[in-house]
Amino acid sequence: MKKQINLLLRWEMALVLFLIVEIIFFSMMNPQFLNVTNLIFSMNDYVYIGLAAIPMTFVIITGGIDVSVGSVIGLTSISIGVLWTNGMEVWLAVLIAVAISACAGAVNGGIIAYSNVQPLVVTLGTMFLFSGIALVISGGNSASGYEGISGFPDAFVQLANGLTFGLPNPLYFLIFFLLLFAVILSLTRYGRQVFLVGINMKAAVYSGIRAKFILIWAYVLAGVGGGISGVILTSYFSSARADLGAEAVLPVITAVVLGGTSITGGKGTVLGTGIASVVIGMMQYGLQMMSMTSQETSVVVGFILIIAVLLRLAKWNNIRSFVKFRSHAE
Amino acid sequence: MARIMKGREASIVILIIAFIAIVGSINSKFVEGNSLLLLLSSSIILFILAIGQSFVLLTAEIDVSVGSTMGLCAAICGLLLTGGMSVWPVVLIVLLVGAAAGLFNGFGVAYLKIPAIIMTLGTLGILRGLMIITTGGKWIEDIPNFFKKLSTESFLGLPIPIWIGLILVAAAYLMLRLTRFGRYFYAVGDNADGARLIGIPVAKVKMIAFMLSGISASIAAMVFVMNIGFIPNQTGNGMELQVIAAAVVGGVSLNGGLGTVWGAGLGAIFLTAINSSLIYLKIPAYWNNAISGLLLLVIVISNSKFQDYLRNAPFKRTAFVKGGMGKDEKADQSSA
Repeated sequence: MKKQINLLLRWEMALVLFLIVEIIFFSMMNPQFLNVTNLIFSMNDYVYIGLAAIPMTFVIITGGIDVSVGSVIGLTSISIGVLWTNGMEVWLAVLIAVAISACAGAVNGGIIAYSNVQPLVVTLGTMFLFSGIALVISGGNSASGYEGISGFPDAFVQLANGLTFGLPNPLYFLIFFLLLFAVILSLTRYGRQVFLVGINMKAAVYSGIRAKFILIWAYVLAGVGGGISGVILTSYFSSARADLGAEAVLPVITAVVLGGTSITGGKGTVLGTGIASVVIGMMQYGLQMMSMTSQETSVVVGFILIIAVLLRLAKWNNIRSFVKFRSHAE
Repeated sequence: MARIMKGREASIVILIIAFIAIVGSINSKFVEGNSLLLLLSSSIILFILAIGQSFVLLTAEIDVSVGSTMGLCAAICGLLLTGGMSVWPVVLIVLLVGAAAGLFNGFGVAYLKIPAIIMTLGTLGILRGLMIITTGGKWIEDIPNFFKKLSTESFLGLPIPIWIGLILVAAAYLMLRLTRFGRYFYAVGDNADGARLIGIPVAKVKMIAFMLSGISASIAAMVFVMNIGFIPNQTGNGMELQVIAAAVVGGVSLNGGLGTVWGAGLGAIFLTAINSSLIYLKIPAYWNNAISGLLLLVIVISNSKFQDYLRNAPFKRTAFVKGGMGKDEKADQSSA
């Protein structure tokens, strides 16, 4: 009994419950919403949030933050476009673009690990830098700043728009990311060290952990997350743009924090982030079906972020021990 | 300690002068005639926002919602003015809206203990959406001429917006420097627990810091309306990051307790100088972000390395400097 109650009180369960409530609410508002095909295909619209948010969990667990992720998405996207228009095989272009996003992450991580500057300031600077580089690349390539590059080969467009076994491809990417990063975080030595760095940096250093190495890799993973997210978005819109993902920072960080990762570090799960990004995506989709614009939905997302943190900060242990006490009394 | 503090602002002053000198030597139009006054005018919105942000940063918190606060205030200001309301009630209402946004942030951070970055990120989304809802997604045009004219009218040779900026920075500086309550901001940012123990109302100070940031955003919004004359939907987008960048470049520490408002203001002028110099250097405008980002990184990293050097330099090891070392060690922990 005690075990089940503990399971029920876990944050991930609360998120799943919230997701169910959300779906019931929206289907009451609009019966069209409960169409399973629609629900699954709507995931295409927001899978990129999850792809960027899942590796971002690592960064936030170390006690850092990466606000440059939106720029990395744009940089990856425009790199694919520019490499491809200059006659490169599209898959090779994708590979190089993802490598560029990993380098972007390494720049973030390197500066953060080897200087005393806070992660927020560093990634703020690289946010300008990466989005600037993206604009320069796109501007230097005849296309004026915000004009996209389109006309990609069908095989690449199918990457995000196609189906495998009746389900949209991006869904597989999300599931793959969930499994991969959940395994890295909870089953590998590296994952445990990420937690220790987040809980107590000095203790981590004194216990012989290569803290700088851990930090840099966390940011590289976040960069690659942004990169893959950029690939999927480029393929989904079948257009490469420098400003793709410029608005992604708020939902990505909201997904991580709503997923139960503590912004001060040391606590968090990949599964929570994954579920939370579905919660947010579903919310945006549902509100849009209630004919709200994407900016209007940001009101709701903003409130959810604040309320989620408030709920996390509430003294759940007291409530939990109260429930335990009751079940013992019975 | 005092010397390091001075060094923080001195470096930005030297940077600005060097930058203007270099750009001026390449293209002399940059330093001729009205160009410098124009530079000051175009930096004034960022300048005002940076003053408000400094209060928040001094208390070791952060406010990323200023851009959207400014957007919402600009929209409300525009709607009320086109609706035919006279100036003073509009000013009052807009100031109240800004203060209310700040109050909301401050309450969440100071009393509900929500981390500032999360709280203000949430507010950013909320206010951005509210702005679109108030304007109905349309741009606001036809701002009455008497309001637009305020930006060109000058007093003692300087345009009104610059006076607003100068008065604000002077008032903020004097308040922080001379009043007891002003010193509280530094105390809270330097050591919140210590401040609480000696009887400083920490939560109240933090809340007021956020309110001042909100109010500065509403003043910036009004300057925006008089300068630009119309209000696009994306007013204030991304402004928050430029403001924080300006404050950091100007020597305000994100760890709290270090920096001055005029340093932050100079940081705002420096960032604007980079932007506007590109025209004179004949560099396409899309280089803007890349150069700003690179400079921001170079400045913060070299500043951090310089502080490290000062800390390790043997001749600095006097009791007086040690007072400042505790701060640096704190910086170590929180940045790590």
